Amino acid sequence: MRRLSWLLAAALLPAQDETRNPATSPADIEAGAKTFRSHCSPCHGFDGGGGRGPALNTGRFYRATTDAELLRVISDGVEGTEMPGLFYSPDRVWQVVSYLRSLNARPAAKGNAAAGAKLFTELGCGGCHRIRGEGGRLGPDLSEIGRARSLDHLRQAILDPNADVRQRYWVVRYTDASGSRREGFLMNEDTYTAQILDTSENLVTVVKSAVRDYRVEKTSKMPSIKGKATEAQAEDLVAYLASLRPQGESR
Amino acid sequence: MKTIALCLITLPLAGQVTYPRLLNASAEPGQWMTYSGSYKGWRYSALDQVNRANVAGLKVRWVYQMPTTHMVETTPLVVDGVMYFSEPPSNVVAVDAATGKQYWKYRRKMPPKVNVCCGQVNRGVAALGDRVFVGTVDAHLVALDAKTGDVLWDVEVADYKAGYSVTVAPLIVKDMVITGIAGGEYGIRGFLDAYDSRTGKRRWRFWVIPGPGEKGNETWSGDSWKTGGGSTWVTGSFDPEQNLIIWGTGNPAPDWNGDVRLGDNLYTDSAVALDADTGKLKWHFQFVPHDVHDWDAVQVPVLVDDTWEGKPRKLVYWAHRCGFYYVLDRVTGQFLLGKPFATQTWAKGLDASGRPIRLPNIDPSPEGTYIWPGVQGATNWYSPSYSPVTRRFYLSVWENRSVYRKGDQRYTPGNRYIASVPLIDLPDDPGHGAIRALDPKTGDRVWEYRLHTKPWAGVLSTAGNLVFGGSDEGYFFALDAESGKELWRQNCGGIIRTNPISYTAQGKQVVAIAAGSSIFTFDLP
Repeated sequence: MRRLSWLLAAALLPAQDETRNPATSPADIEAGAKTFRSHCSPCHGFDGGGGRGPALNTGRFYRATTDAELLRVISDGVEGTEMPGLFYSPDRVWQVVSYLRSLNARPAAKGNAAAGAKLFTELGCGGCHRIRGEGGRLGPDLSEIGRARSLDHLRQAILDPNADVRQRYWVVRYTDASGSRREGFLMNEDTYTAQILDTSENLVTVVKSAVRDYRVEKTSKMPSIKGKATEAQAEDLVAYLASLRPQGESR
Repeated sequence: MKTIALCLITLPLAGQVTYPRLLNASAEPGQWMTYSGSYKGWRYSALDQVNRANVAGLKVRWVYQMPTTHMVETTPLVVDGVMYFSEPPSNVVAVDAATGKQYWKYRRKMPPKVNVCCGQVNRGVAALGDRVFVGTVDAHLVALDAKTGDVLWDVEVADYKAGYSVTVAPLIVKDMVITGIAGGEYGIRGFLDAYDSRTGKRRWRFWVIPGPGEKGNETWSGDSWKTGGGSTWVTGSFDPEQNLIIWGTGNPAPDWNGDVRLGDNLYTDSAVALDADTGKLKWHFQFVPHDVHDWDAVQVPVLVDDTWEGKPRKLVYWAHRCGFYYVLDRVTGQFLLGKPFATQTWAKGLDASGRPIRLPNIDPSPEGTYIWPGVQGATNWYSPSYSPVTRRFYLSVWENRSVYRKGDQRYTPGNRYIASVPLIDLPDDPGHGAIRALDPKTGDRVWEYRLHTKPWAGVLSTAGNLVFGGSDEGYFFALDAESGKELWRQNCGGIIRTNPISYTAQGKQVVAIAAGSSIFTFDLP
């Protein structure tokens, strides 16, 4: 009984995330845009269209729904990702939140998504990339890639995979004790060891002092589709990738 | 009469840290009674039970886990079998130094909102008599009973709502508790304070930024001196012969735009030497006049008496965040030597007075300026070490750069006053770290132990000819002090953001450091 009344009391308390953004004037949005362009745009694109970081102009965010959550994510960063915290007082961060809320544009893909899906299979992309549990695991899981990445970034990724390679996909190469050449994707590295996913999908710790010719290459293992597909087909593939979104979520 | 006699008898018993004991700390290597182990700032242990021949057998003795999600930056003290350390934000714990079992814990309640740039951290406590002293994130100084943890006095050092906080470990000088202040990212006006250890009454305050009419105030344009920063958040050293407290000062505010504070901005980014009884400035040396990169002089001053150009001289060794290693005269503050100890791209060199000769286009810009070292510097607050055995200077080094950006910001009390944010870590170019040994008389590098990542841990040298250090990768390691060769390492499983110490428990040498949110101790089985 006592527990029940406590629960009821908790239900009546205002949720913390009802905190209102105090900086929503046009001047705030303009100031937020300035901060965004100098600090966020290198990863999230000049107008929030995304790049190495997720697109922020879709009205939907991975880590936040409310303004208060956005404030927290921008201020504190996201642990385990490349997203750093923004070293500013809340008044400046609220302006960035307002700017993000003002963005809501997402151009439609030009290509044909169904044709792109067929091409994805024909080119064997599924050997390394997984979509909803189907496919390989050496490359990034693409199940929701259309939500996270802009069309421009998707296009760049398939045409010029080396343009922007996340650390997690840097390639570790070395010669093991038996003299065999080995390689895998970098999951973690310290002074003495590296943790990799090798090309046979084994989790391996490499002890640097026990191998020869250890090196980390910041290039992508993914082949470009240039020469394998026409420009129109590339657009079809972009359209297909852009259509990959959380189930039940419309564009 | 009988009571008085009893008092006289009980005074020097165990647990009583007296000023003479602090003065002669080197005579008691089994204790660790001040932040740096001695007033000289050496972070050196004269214990040699653990040495190059046997360090490979070092094993965990005990671990104390702190129930905290804040970063742990504490350096423990060990006095007569009891270890005292802070637990963030501003708690204090006393444990048995032999077992790690807790005697008491002082829990400080924090207000809901405190203003700290870089986490609710604390770097340690000070001890005198039967008292332990801690500075708090809400900018108080608290005296605790060393036997019970009860509060004896609690004084406000400054207004935390205006961006002031205390994260530094205090330093005992005579019967005074010396504490610095943090808040260089909040437009504070920095100072160094001395408090009566018995009553908590303030004896003196040295303003890092001189007020109107005082010498140095003319190095600040307009009213900028009022909000000019100049914090004092890392423990300094003390020269008893000259009665001089030597302390490093922090960055001018706002950090990355100097247009509103034209001039040299004295005494920010400086070594200041103060009369211990009055707090009056005896000399200063400013490493970076008009700093626009956030290169605080928050390093522990290393005080060494040695020959210089054939004559005995009192010296200060100082590896500064800006990437240069300096030797200063401790009597006058005169610049004697300066040399880069890490990659730097901002200065052509230093002139005869030690003032940097800046290269063009090094200031932060709206589009971003790439400069080595990065905003966290080529070294930072974590302690260096000096070994009288090898006569080497040891330190943790960062090889890295940042993109420095310039922006505008108005001062509002209690809010960050920094005028932009640099891109600190470049995802594709994270840089690397190292432990380096320097010849302190020339600044030349003797050896390097390279690290994949940039360490936030200080170093300890010992009479066993070892240098202990730690890394962001969670490793605590021992190196040969002469060659830099690794002799032992242990994965502690959490980032090490603090300094090692060494002491004796039950006749055995123990080495201790905080890693992750735990205190780890090691000895030979």
